[in-house]
Amino acid sequence: MIVRMAKVEIVGAKDLLQEVLARLRELGVFQIEPATVGFIEEGHEDDIRSFMLDEKSVFERLFLEELRAKVGDLLSSLPKVQVRCSYLDPRPVIDTVAAIVERHRVAIKEKNERMDALRKERVELERYAAFLGTLAPLIGSVHETPDLDFIGLTIREPEMVIRLKEALSRITDWKYDLMTEPAADGTLVGLITVEKDHADRVKKTLSDEQVPELIFPPSFTGLSFPEKVKYVNTRAAEHTGDIERIDAELARFTQRWMPIYRSVRDWIDDRLSLLSTTASAFETRMCFFINGWMAAKDVKKVRGELAEAFQGDVVLAEKEMHEEDLDHVPIILKNPPYFKPFEIFTSMLPLPSYTSYDPTPFIGIFFPVFFGMILGDAGYGLLLGAIALYVMKKYRKLHMVRDGAKVLLVASLYSIFFGVLFGEFFGDLPERFFHLQPLCVERRTAVVPMIFFALAVGVAHVLLGLVFGVISGFQKKEKKEAVYKLLSIVMILGLIIVLASYFEVFPTFLARPVIIAILFLTPLLFFTGGLLAPLELLKSIGNIISYVRIMAIGLTSVLLAFVANNLGGLTGDVVTGVVVAGLIHLLNIILGVFSPTIHSLRLHYVEFFSKFMEHGGRRFEPLKK
Amino acid sequence: MSYEKVLIALCAALAIGLTALATAWAQSKIGAAGAGALAEKPELTGTIVILVAIPETMVILGFVVSTMILFTVK
Repeated sequence: MIVRMAKVEIVGAKDLLQEVLARLRELGVFQIEPATVGFIEEGHEDDIRSFMLDEKSVFERLFLEELRAKVGDLLSSLPKVQVRCSYLDPRPVIDTVAAIVERHRVAIKEKNERMDALRKERVELERYAAFLGTLAPLIGSVHETPDLDFIGLTIREPEMVIRLKEALSRITDWKYDLMTEPAADGTLVGLITVEKDHADRVKKTLSDEQVPELIFPPSFTGLSFPEKVKYVNTRAAEHTGDIERIDAELARFTQRWMPIYRSVRDWIDDRLSLLSTTASAFETRMCFFINGWMAAKDVKKVRGELAEAFQGDVVLAEKEMHEEDLDHVPIILKNPPYFKPFEIFTSMLPLPSYTSYDPTPFIGIFFPVFFGMILGDAGYGLLLGAIALYVMKKYRKLHMVRDGAKVLLVASLYSIFFGVLFGEFFGDLPERFFHLQPLCVERRTAVVPMIFFALAVGVAHVLLGLVFGVISGFQKKEKKEAVYKLLSIVMILGLIIVLASYFEVFPTFLARPVIIAILFLTPLLFFTGGLLAPLELLKSIGNIISYVRIMAIGLTSVLLAFVANNLGGLTGDVVTGVVVAGLIHLLNIILGVFSPTIHSLRLHYVEFFSKFMEHGGRRFEPLKK
Repeated sequence: MSYEKVLIALCAALAIGLTALATAWAQSKIGAAGAGALAEKPELTGTIVILVAIPETMVILGFVVSTMILFTVK
């Protein structure tokens, strides 16, 4: 249901504005309206202007915005760890925090930068260590002499070795040695030994061929190979120690300060939001005005609260709601516990306008029925009901999941009901094992009767939608629209009578007077609905035929269940048969959850709601913490 | 006699087959555009589901015509 709203104005002494806003935010039932349309009476526009913050408040806002930026920056640079909650009231310590936050921010920034540098260097050292480790067996067989140069390289493609050898032979006149060894990462690590005179040309060739040469940093200069290995290992160990130490320092700092800074940030956010809300208020020379909306039932309570808190210095007045206000009224949907879970479907639609209907009860009533008609299997219904109960119990704190499970539970109950009517329990098992006949109709063979049944449901649902359209039209004093919808109902009923007479369901003599009546009403239809009225009527007939999907999708479901049982029976073995049939039934159940859901919703959204629902409402967003 | 039955079956198959192809084509276009729109605005889920489901009316009408051909044409 759409909750009845009240248009209110709160007036008080200017210096009380922030306290009033804080109080209203605590109550959490008032939505402030920044627009003046419909609130400020004609002739008073010049006396009332937007509320201006005083000098102190402006300074406070600037100070808090700067502090918020610093605290946010500090918090974002701290490690993400689980910390306690702080129960410290930030208000008395805000100046102390402002004094130390910059120091903390700089210190943490330096630590993070140092940590990044150490990590980067350690990665480099690990690369050198891997390279040197791979080269160790090769180096052992090479005698270091002053005339020779050693070039280390990483070769990603083994084919490159042949090309490299060709190039080296050409440059060095066969005076080289290239040794390769597979590295741990799957690449090849190579060592080229050449005379010093050829070293530069070889390096240029490597660069041209895009073979990365491993260049050691200057700190490695003058070290022999074993010294290099030792140096790398020592440096890596030192870096690891440093990183662990900084990590521990950061963790200690975070544990100690993060809860405090979070609490300060939340308080600042709260305070800034209050200060920015004042921009939506208005003022005269002595008073402030706040315009807005609240649920009509809350007016008395809020009036009492304000009167008590400010000893009559602040007054709440309920203003008369005019027709032009109806487009601006925010919407609150409030439904009884049975319908509440169905709001997950309503939330997928735009909100209804204030003068329209809440779609939730309609979905709550018809969705499970359509779902049950489509699935229509007692076995599937029982299984889905059990799953829904389990999910409800297991995820009772996750509202969306719990609501979805509740909807599934109701829908599964209707599936059981229609399953009993259609005599289906995991397909045609009752007939196979116990020769039980359906109570009502066997969907698998009664195709035409089921089409008529689905069409009858469609007629009832679409006509109900049109009836609501008529009521809504009269309520909104749009008489032409209401009469047009009324005529549509009469026309559809007339067409049904004509068709029923044609198929000899009704007496044939009925057809002629009804056709004459339809022809007589047609000009009226043009007058009320415009030139496109017959097209709209045709659309309504198309909407009714669309309900055949209830039967069509149900038929696919029952046939798939039938195929599952047949295939299970064909295996000739109980265990294999149960497994085969079970797998196909499982597929059918999965399809049986999604398909009926989507199609039932579509029947509501497109066929039913289009007849009377008006969207375009805005959500009620009260001031609250 | 059997020739007529074949024609009836063919007509029924065409009625549902062609409308199914038309629905599939329309849904592929709407689905692709809808997926793009959802990446930008996830709050449009309900609208996109409706848009994707709208062309299904064609195949439902095809199904009705097909059933009428099979069960009413003698």
